[in-house]
Amino acid sequence: MSYPVRLSLIVLFVLILVSACAPAPTPAPTAAPPTAAPKPTEATKPTSAPVATTAPTAAPKPTEVSKVGGVLTSPANDPDTLDLHQTSNPDSYVVFGLIYETLVTEAPDGSYVGLLAESYDISADNKTITFKLRKDVKYTDGSPFNAEAVKFTFERLLRVGAKSPIQSTIKNIEAMETPDEFTFKMTMKSPYAPIFHDLATSYAGILSPAAVKAANDNIGRAAIGTGPYTLKSWQTGQLIVLERNANYKNPLKHFDNKGAPYIQERRFKIIPEYATQLAALEAGEIDYLGLQSQDVAKYTKDARFKAFDSLTTGLTYLGFDTKKPPFDNPKVRQALAYAVNKNEIIQVVFENTLAKATCCPLPPSIQGYDEKLKQFELAYDPEKSKKALDDLGYKVGANKMRTTPDGKPFQPAIYTTTSNTHGKVSTLLQAQFQAVGVDMQVKQMESGALLALTPKAEHDLYLNGYSWNEPDMFSLFLSCERVQASNRVLYCNQDLEKLIVAGRTTLDQTKRMQIYADAQKITMQEAPWQPLYMTVSKIVVSAKFQGIKTDRTGGLLWHDAYFAK
Amino acid sequence: MTRYIIQRLLLAIPVLFGVSFGVFLMAQLVPGDPATVLAGDTASPQMIAALRQELGLDQPIPVQYLRFLERLILHGSLGNSTRTHREVLVEIADRFPYTLLLTLSAVILSTVVGVLMGIFAAINHGRAGDFVTMMLAVIGLSVPSFWLALLMIMLFALNLHWLPVTGAASWQNLIMPTITLGLHSASVKARVARASMLEVMGQEYVRTARAKGLREQTVIVGHALKNALIPIVTLIGLQFGGLLGGAFITETIFGWPGVGRLAVQSIFNRDFPVIQGTVLLVAVAYLASNLIVDIVYGWLDPRIRYN
Repeated sequence: MSYPVRLSLIVLFVLILVSACAPAPTPAPTAAPPTAAPKPTEATKPTSAPVATTAPTAAPKPTEVSKVGGVLTSPANDPDTLDLHQTSNPDSYVVFGLIYETLVTEAPDGSYVGLLAESYDISADNKTITFKLRKDVKYTDGSPFNAEAVKFTFERLLRVGAKSPIQSTIKNIEAMETPDEFTFKMTMKSPYAPIFHDLATSYAGILSPAAVKAANDNIGRAAIGTGPYTLKSWQTGQLIVLERNANYKNPLKHFDNKGAPYIQERRFKIIPEYATQLAALEAGEIDYLGLQSQDVAKYTKDARFKAFDSLTTGLTYLGFDTKKPPFDNPKVRQALAYAVNKNEIIQVVFENTLAKATCCPLPPSIQGYDEKLKQFELAYDPEKSKKALDDLGYKVGANKMRTTPDGKPFQPAIYTTTSNTHGKVSTLLQAQFQAVGVDMQVKQMESGALLALTPKAEHDLYLNGYSWNEPDMFSLFLSCERVQASNRVLYCNQDLEKLIVAGRTTLDQTKRMQIYADAQKITMQEAPWQPLYMTVSKIVVSAKFQGIKTDRTGGLLWHDAYFAK
Repeated sequence: MTRYIIQRLLLAIPVLFGVSFGVFLMAQLVPGDPATVLAGDTASPQMIAALRQELGLDQPIPVQYLRFLERLILHGSLGNSTRTHREVLVEIADRFPYTLLLTLSAVILSTVVGVLMGIFAAINHGRAGDFVTMMLAVIGLSVPSFWLALLMIMLFALNLHWLPVTGAASWQNLIMPTITLGLHSASVKARVARASMLEVMGQEYVRTARAKGLREQTVIVGHALKNALIPIVTLIGLQFGGLLGGAFITETIFGWPGVGRLAVQSIFNRDFPVIQGTVLLVAVAYLASNLIVDIVYGWLDPRIRYN
């Protein structure tokens, strides 16, 4: 074979290979995922449900028909699965939160109101809750919603939900009954106050038994719910498309729109990199973005966008390993807490825009926050810090740094994640501690490694945050039960423990909030944590979307929103 | 030749075993327990223990490895992703076509551009053309890919509106990632092609070709280039193997749904079955591309024989 013929054969082979794989990555946006899971698309095209995606009859009032339409594209990271019982991933939560609905939901005033339930009753012993269910609800596959579906869902959560953040709540249910088709009764082993919070999270969304059976229990990509949107397609690593459920009826009073959402499609475009997300926003490929501090000034003034402030639930704290000397001594912890200048952190790291200093273990975004507790804050006072350290025997040595009472260099290590923000905050804390003569070492590690190391109590100090929107966060992060697990400061105080148990079992809201005020007081005085700041998300949304509402914490509510054509 | 190929394929088996064992051991040494990572920040010890049991992590390491081998050999399965619960092969198959497409387009672009630049520089050896081409090659080698990628996004997507920023929905999406990936290796190939051409053009058979009155074009394409291609083929093979494992930075910046992003994501999530799968894929890609390169050597240069 001559050389040109051989060369041509090589080129031809390469071209054939290119053309062979060319069609795969170029599906139309609505096509099924390339190879893996064609099922979701098929499954979400119900044969029995009258899905008229743009049917004018779906809109409740004739005048509002014109509002239907438009596509809202948000940036997202790759969700793991839409099986709400097998994940605690926030990216998945956002998506299945639009597909599934829960029995109750949080109203703008912080109370819990029925969503799939019409109403609910709590028994005198605070153990039994009886839900009266709505009769006008159907799943998008046409199957009926009823009490059996609720029971089926929670039983499945018990069976497969090891990863679900609310499995322990459901495990506390002793009996589930369905006295009639639209009544669901659950009896708890012991009264559990955060149950409404847990039932209101989308992890407690109610599944369609028929759809779960049809998918052979593999509902990771075959999500069928009663919610305002249905899963249309999922192209792995690229795009998830949800389509408006035209038959949806909304019972919530805080929305004007009583029917299906106006926005025709919700798309989640997988863009992991912030710089690319910003470019995609500029190019109009996405309509929505949470900004980083350097871009806040530019985009919040840009007429093409509307800006929203959204408080995150949770906060970042400086924790001490309370089992390890000398940090088992509250006075040492307090002395170091006085050296922390929170306002400087807000100014330097967040440019006064993306965070607010917090005084107390519960930030303003969580119920139980109490302005009056500010008086117990160990507020920045370097002189107090120096004096306390002197009194404890930590004397300043020749290099202006302190030594321990037995004469060794005092060099506590702070452990934190590799996140850019945590890096900056811990460096600033290092400087603030240096000002009072404490030579703190910073150790940053990837968050998986950090989670594995902290229960072993290798750290002295710990910089990280918690994210939880219920005052019962105390039981997760500060209870004796969770020492060496999610209680990463290994703090155990029997007085606080009693309050934590009381807070969990008291359903009376006023009494419960008083309990959490007392719990916060102990935490602030004992200082296993020095609360630092809560982050504020600056979100910009394309000005083409009108009617967006916000909830108590500034989270965006889209049910009344529409695309202005 | 057939015997040689069979021999090479058989030799690949112990290599793959070695790789899988190495990755398995490495995964055990990395700090961070998969069950803790999966269960998240709020998990109770019971929840973590339950997860560990579900994932089989409570078993001794040799048992875990034997189970992995048993699944692989008897069922042809790499197990399920601990993150998504889907088959590892399905996870990879979802992304591999995109990686293959990007790899092929980057290799073709870099080979065509690199070889042409190299020939041009060699023909103009010592003159301005040589100098300018090699300067361009040095620039191409020095530009960081993430910087080039962001610069192209600013120019082509934001200012000129010619190309989309992210995604993989159309052929336009392929252009910027291809240039980002291809530029660096085009520069390497240009330098190698130039050196190789200069060496070959000093050989006696080239002088003979010229002496017998052949046109310069025939001398260069028909005689010199053919022999100068061997090192380029080696480079293509190496690049092909490497790129098939995924190009994480390029994929992340352009939102390209390839294997590289899957690999890094699975490392962060301690998703061991997927990590195993992607590493085995890289090993297979390297072995296959090396084998193909060796076969192509024989084709290009009949003096090379495999016995």
